[in-house]
Amino acid sequence: MKLDYEREERFLLWLGFVLGPGAKQYERALAPFGGNAEDFFNAAQKRALPPECGIKAEVLERIFASASERYMLGCFRRLQEYDISALSVRMPDYPSLLKEIYDPPPVLYCRGELQEAELPIGIVGSRSPSEYGRNMAYRFAKELAEAGACIVSGLAYGVDCIAALGALAAEKNDFPTIAVLGCGVDMVYPANNRDIYDKIMRRGAIISEFLPGTAAKPSYFPMRNRIISGLSRGVLVVEAAEKSGTLITVDCALEQGRDVFALPGRLIDAKSEGTNELLRSGQAKFTSAAEDILEEYRGIGMAQKKNEPKTVKKPKKKAAKTAPVQKEELPKEREELPAEQRLILNILAKGEKSFDELCELTGLSVPLLNSTLTEMEFSGIMKQSPGRVYSL
Amino acid sequence: MLAKIKSYGLMGIEGFAVSVEAYVSRGMPAYDTVGLPDAAVRESKERVRAAIRNSGFEFPVQRVTVNLAPADLRKEGSVYDLPIAIGLLAATEQIAPSPLLEECLFLGELALDGTLRGVPGILPMVIGAYGQGIRKVILPRENAAEASYIEGVEVYAAENLRQITAFLGGEPTLTKEKTRTWDSASIAYSMDFADIRGQQGAKRAAEIAAAGGHNLLLVGTPGSGKTMLARSIPSILPELTFEEALEITKIQSVAGTLRGTEGMASERPFRSPHHSASTASLIGGGTRAMPGEISLAHYGVLFLDEFPEFRKETLEALRQPMEDGVVTITRATARSTYPAQFMLVAAMNPCPCGNFGSRTAQCRCSQGQISRYLGRISGPMLDRLDLHVEMSEVGYEDIASKSRGEPSAVIRERVNKARSIQVERYKKEGILFNAQLTSRMTGNFCILDEGAERLLQKAFASLHLSARAYTRILKVSRTIADLEGSEKILAHHVAEAVQYRSLESKYWGDTRR
Repeated sequence: MKLDYEREERFLLWLGFVLGPGAKQYERALAPFGGNAEDFFNAAQKRALPPECGIKAEVLERIFASASERYMLGCFRRLQEYDISALSVRMPDYPSLLKEIYDPPPVLYCRGELQEAELPIGIVGSRSPSEYGRNMAYRFAKELAEAGACIVSGLAYGVDCIAALGALAAEKNDFPTIAVLGCGVDMVYPANNRDIYDKIMRRGAIISEFLPGTAAKPSYFPMRNRIISGLSRGVLVVEAAEKSGTLITVDCALEQGRDVFALPGRLIDAKSEGTNELLRSGQAKFTSAAEDILEEYRGIGMAQKKNEPKTVKKPKKKAAKTAPVQKEELPKEREELPAEQRLILNILAKGEKSFDELCELTGLSVPLLNSTLTEMEFSGIMKQSPGRVYSL
Repeated sequence: MLAKIKSYGLMGIEGFAVSVEAYVSRGMPAYDTVGLPDAAVRESKERVRAAIRNSGFEFPVQRVTVNLAPADLRKEGSVYDLPIAIGLLAATEQIAPSPLLEECLFLGELALDGTLRGVPGILPMVIGAYGQGIRKVILPRENAAEASYIEGVEVYAAENLRQITAFLGGEPTLTKEKTRTWDSASIAYSMDFADIRGQQGAKRAAEIAAAGGHNLLLVGTPGSGKTMLARSIPSILPELTFEEALEITKIQSVAGTLRGTEGMASERPFRSPHHSASTASLIGGGTRAMPGEISLAHYGVLFLDEFPEFRKETLEALRQPMEDGVVTITRATARSTYPAQFMLVAAMNPCPCGNFGSRTAQCRCSQGQISRYLGRISGPMLDRLDLHVEMSEVGYEDIASKSRGEPSAVIRERVNKARSIQVERYKKEGILFNAQLTSRMTGNFCILDEGAERLLQKAFASLHLSARAYTRILKVSRTIADLEGSEKILAHHVAEAVQYRSLESKYWGDTRR
């Protein structure tokens, strides 16, 4: 962790502390000084900032009050205390992809070890995904991370934290995930994500453009979303309703020239309306396997190392292997299952079903169906989700 | 010039004999009522005066003292109007002494014109009086029905004071009411399981709950038929026995909800208080310590819709009566014990907006909102709800389908059979059904075979069940085995019970993954 900063860096960061988030303001303030933050600092000490800086009167007062070595020292000491490192956009370690965007955060606060990921992929989606969404988010995150990608997500409820968990499950990847927060990096929001937060801090990085200690606010999340897409080469949308915050991230990604991938969903599923629309309009690439994403970035990072010695055709074959996501069954073992279980399996292979539907379709008595479902649940062939809906 | 008339008072649903003594002496005209009368009793003076005059008698212009003995118990209500009036008439010798004056129990309120009005609580009073050797009762016509179910008591129903005085004088103005017999077969249920479309899983859960006396928690999106299912449950509960009907009627009689009905409860009660109900209205209370909803639901179903919307302390107050089957209400002026053996059917949405887990509608609740909503139901409360059922959404095909389900009568037959097995098994334990099993008793009675044991272990490992879920699954498995007539609990019984386990792992637990 980097806690000792160069002299110039200290002034750059100090400016970030006093101005808060907002890329334009930061650049504008530095412009009259030719980008030299130390000069800005000195001018502020003399209470003589030129009007070209475009700083509002009330903020100006604050800057004058904070323009002291003591204040700056206090800030860095505080950061050190909380184990937070800070990165200015003008520092070389700043993520290169993020630097390219229109409004990169002037200062990033970071916990854990932020590395330059070779293949950062954002995964976004509904905060309350369906069982299908959950499974897919986990699975894609894991497969991508195993192929060397770094999963960028938002550590909120639903797809966000499931994706992070999936990435962490790729044990060989030593930098599997980055979480971007809509509050200060030292805050865990939502609070019951604490365990995931700790895990990410150990193996990945948690970043935010907000000053440590900032509480989450609804308006901060769209701002965070631009960082998620900005950090990533491509963004995978798992599940999104027609009007959802997820689509804000997609807009950001498209504006920033990032690739967008989307998983297809069922037509009647409200939670997939957004993703289906993205696919229909051609804004997103149809994705049914991790390979669909990886093949776009051949020649980058680990995907490259892995595929270089192999023939060109090999990955295609691999794609074919993983592509049919849903039809993953174990035909051999299925033969040995009792007749009722096989019957249910065949029905569920066509999609999730509620208890009543199963009752009707199988024609089994309720007690028998109940006990059969329990057995199947235990053997792990099937899952039950809220609303008594069963799926493979 | 003293007259003593027999009457009766109530404390809870038990009665106590009251002797109404009227004494008329010379002196300044005055009227005093003593013996801890409440306001309604004290006011009886005016009603009695008018009723006596308007029936063609003289109201004594003398010093009148009315004593209600025993003097240390509170007397409530207007039931003493009639005995006081008769006592005054006897004390002033306006009616001739008759052995009937000593033998009869007098109960009833008087109107100013001398007609008789019905009063609450007649049934427990008559039952109590019968126990004390009284065999003749004179009461208002309105109350005749409920009293006439008691065998061995001659019930005379009167319209007005005049009829009674004539009867006491030896005229045949009143005739003995015919003793009614009570027949459980005559019950007509207003709801039937055959009318519920779809919801096979929930119907089965209701059957299990009825068979084992288990409390039931229904979780489902709005409009999935939670209320309809709950309302139909009384129709699959075993038929009332006479003793049960008597007890239900007693409570209804005390609560005053019996007036104008057939006299005897024929159906198991179904009570569904609104979620804004106060603790006192649910448990019982008020200055007179009246029975609450839980007692009115005695031997029947207490349905609490929108369960998490009930006030927390109200729900917590339910726990003790659920355990004991009785509730004792103590007030400054009264203390009453009412029976409260009810089957609790609770219904709730899976989240504040109701659409969590729905496949057709979008849930708008945040995770925090959902966990706060569910958190309103405490663990110990959840502990007492043996079966948790998720209701599926009802699709158009279900509503439109013409096929009728199994009728309640068929299900009731199975429930009856399972119940009689339980009664036989628990003869020595003093309990009636599986839901009442204590954890000590589960060890003795819930014997698992090897396969069931293994399955339960597996359930624990893979579902992260709590200790309280364990006993619950055992009890429900026991009932499922009873429904099948199996002495031992087999693997598939446990397997089915697990399906009705706690939503803990899904809703109450970590919803993330």
